[in-house]
Amino acid sequence: MGDFILEADRLEFSYPDGTRALRGLSVRIPRGARVAVLGSNGAGKTTLFLHFNGILRPTGGRVRFDGRDVRYDHRSLMQLRRQVGIVFQDPDSQLFSASVFQEISFGPMNLGLPREEVRRRVEAAMRSTEITELKDKPTHLLSYGQKKRVSIADILAMEPSVVICDEPTAWLDPRHAEQVMELFTRINAAGTTVILSTHDVDTAYSWADRVLVMMHGEVIGEGVPEEIFRDGELLARADLARPRLVQTWLALQEKGWLPAGGAMPRTWGELFALIPHRQSPGAEKPAQVYTLERGKPSGGAACGVGLG
Amino acid sequence: MFAIDQYAYSNRLRHVHPGEKFAFALVTMLICLAASSPAAPLAVLLVMSGAVLLLAGIPWRFYLKLLTLPLSFLIIGVLTVAVSISFAPSPAPMFGLTLGKITIGFTAAGWHAAALLLVKSLGAVSCLYFLSLTTPVVEIVSLLRRLYVPALFVELMGLIYRFIFVIMETAEKMYIAQSSRWGYASVRTAYTSLGLLAANLFGKSYHRSQALFIGLQSRCYSGELHVLENPRTVSRVNLLLIAAADLFLAALALYTGGGHFGRLHS
Repeated sequence: MGDFILEADRLEFSYPDGTRALRGLSVRIPRGARVAVLGSNGAGKTTLFLHFNGILRPTGGRVRFDGRDVRYDHRSLMQLRRQVGIVFQDPDSQLFSASVFQEISFGPMNLGLPREEVRRRVEAAMRSTEITELKDKPTHLLSYGQKKRVSIADILAMEPSVVICDEPTAWLDPRHAEQVMELFTRINAAGTTVILSTHDVDTAYSWADRVLVMMHGEVIGEGVPEEIFRDGELLARADLARPRLVQTWLALQEKGWLPAGGAMPRTWGELFALIPHRQSPGAEKPAQVYTLERGKPSGGAACGVGLG
Repeated sequence: MFAIDQYAYSNRLRHVHPGEKFAFALVTMLICLAASSPAAPLAVLLVMSGAVLLLAGIPWRFYLKLLTLPLSFLIIGVLTVAVSISFAPSPAPMFGLTLGKITIGFTAAGWHAAALLLVKSLGAVSCLYFLSLTTPVVEIVSLLRRLYVPALFVELMGLIYRFIFVIMETAEKMYIAQSSRWGYASVRTAYTSLGLLAANLFGKSYHRSQALFIGLQSRCYSGELHVLENPRTVSRVNLLLIAAADLFLAALALYTGGGHFGRLHS
């Protein structure tokens, strides 16, 4: 029963302009999971997230948090929002204060905590996002990546049990993107359920332990990454590419370098470990020379022969 | 203009208690405005400029440029005070021009009033510059909150300050995008582009305010922006220094002409 922290049951939502953003969407988020939500722009990811902390109220269906239906009175909403935190995509729309310290203290102050506890949480959130040295800097002098970290610290300081992050790696360079993903791994390791939306299938594949594929306001695929990314038809329907790692693995299988079947590797390291050393005939050591055969009988025959 | 903001965060008096700087600027400005002879305002200008240049370490070129900003307004204002037009037969001007019945010229009194106005204004401006060059707006806002200025005012001030930068950045990006497509090639296109920019900026700001509200709501916003302030310790030495400087200036103001407070007693 208590295995799912967030559940959406036949959720319907239309914006005032008539756009049907969610069409009978049902999904269940396991407690403590790392969920990646994939889907093209306008698939309804952000709309779904805004339902998870009660900002939007569904026009049909219901949202459950921790097994109980979400209610929309002030008290219940405050309770829900202290448990479910959302980091928005554009930090410039989220950060309201010109002081980093004050900005991060806003959430915990609203929870009515004693000042010392607020201070402890702000400092802990700054430590885990590695922005302690930005404490006295004004928000407008920060770089984009730093602002992103502050916006994550904003939410961490509230110590929610679910952290939702809308496209955390968008507009970040690869190094900062990787740091942010590591941060979410740490947050998750501490027991927090993490839900991310992303367009980056490679990140989703290697990071998530559960993947949701959304399209036109519906969930069209849900499962462990291995399942989702093996399903070529689903990926084509959702306009998603296969992760490079999976593509490589499938190509290696197809060309006979790896045995068919077997567990899908999750990291490049795992894939590389699967690839056997090439042995020259009769030799114990790996061959020193490789020549690719491209249908030419001569030349290729030299491959490895005579070394050993 | 944003250079002021950057100096506010990087000057040498950055970590002095904002209350001390605020009190110093305010009391000194009051003395300057209350003085009735140029000596005290001149001393205020000197003391404040000294504080800005020597204590806070603001480059003198920049500070001088800042002081010349209000000068153009001041000179026009001062001239109208200094020049007097008289219809009286002989108003005894220091020097002037008499055209028939009208005399245009400087009188001693007008000249004094103008000079006093000039130094008073410059003195007061230097007090404000001292505050704005040494104290980040965030700290001034926090201080006002602690001084029980209404929350609505303080919150608006904080939000406006934060979003000036966001809007400036948005406008800059739009300007670059427009000018890279010849948006400002001629006067005509420049007007059109500028109009579009202003209209778009309004739309974008509106959307941003909506997004901000959602973001705040997500963090349990319920009408007031509560934030935690970092406690600062007041330095006794600084307080004594401020008191000494202001006592000196006040004494100078009283001694050299009384001012409004002096006149009450005489």
